[in-house]
Amino acid sequence: MAATVEAPVPAEQDSARCGPEEENRGAEVEEKSQQQQQQTGSTGPAVPHSRLSKLPLARIKALMKTDPDVSLASQESVFIIAKATELFVEMIAKDALVYAQQGKRKTLQRKDLDNAIEAIDEFAFLEGKPCSDNTDFSFYLPFIT
Amino acid sequence: MAERPEDLNLPNAVITRIIKEALPDGVNVSKEARRAISQAASVFVLYATSCANNFAMKAKRKTLNAGDVLAAMEEMEFERFLEPLRDALEVYKKDQRGRKEVSEQKRRDKERKADSENDKSREEEEEEEEEEQQRMEEEPEEEAEEEEDDN
Repeated sequence: MAATVEAPVPAEQDSARCGPEEENRGAEVEEKSQQQQQQTGSTGPAVPHSRLSKLPLARIKALMKTDPDVSLASQESVFIIAKATELFVEMIAKDALVYAQQGKRKTLQRKDLDNAIEAIDEFAFLEGKPCSDNTDFSFYLPFIT
Repeated sequence: MAERPEDLNLPNAVITRIIKEALPDGVNVSKEARRAISQAASVFVLYATSCANNFAMKAKRKTLNAGDVLAAMEEMEFERFLEPLRDALEVYKKDQRGRKEVSEQKRRDKERKADSENDKSREEEEEEEEEEQQRMEEEPEEEAEEEEDDN
């Protein structure tokens, strides 16, 4: 019977769709519970939190967990990494600006970043040079190219 | 479900905002530069996490804590971040403490309400279920016809 065969299909589609949606909602819920009063009518992780952390802690935590050696991270540690990342973005933008200004440009370009990364010691990890404990981050280079 | 690092980029809107606030007015940022900064930020998170995790493991702890991250910043030669990070941490801790008290109070209020409403809602649910069962028993053929029409 066509009717009985078709009946289950919409249900399956719904559950398949629910999967990823639930994950996103889960992340958002986790985020919202962490930052209840800061989000007033926001739509999701893209909305910055002006008070404490601009970056969504749920996303930072998810990123941290991709490291197989990391089992648990305290909320505070996730927050500090988020904050440090903010400072890092500010720092690299400002350092790259120097090169743009040298080229008499008002628009920051990719090459300004490359120059900054090459010139500044602290950004060596972005070039894939091993840090003091001999961990090689060139594995992550595909990100930057 | 494990997500690969490449899938977890930080939100573009936030990255853009941080960049714009760091730079003087009138300065623009190309799309490629923004993307590169965003990706560098992701790598930074991973690198910082790994360094911090080393400190946690040395101390035979399984949970990364704030101190591990601060130690990692020093290791990574980002000492300039230490002071602003410590200040931010203080504010964050106070905020969390305050929020905990508020949510605990809310929870207590909810529990009080829930106890009185629980009995009422259970009765209502049972009534609804009975009605649904009756409807299904009476009209299975009609439902099948409706589905055919839709498809």
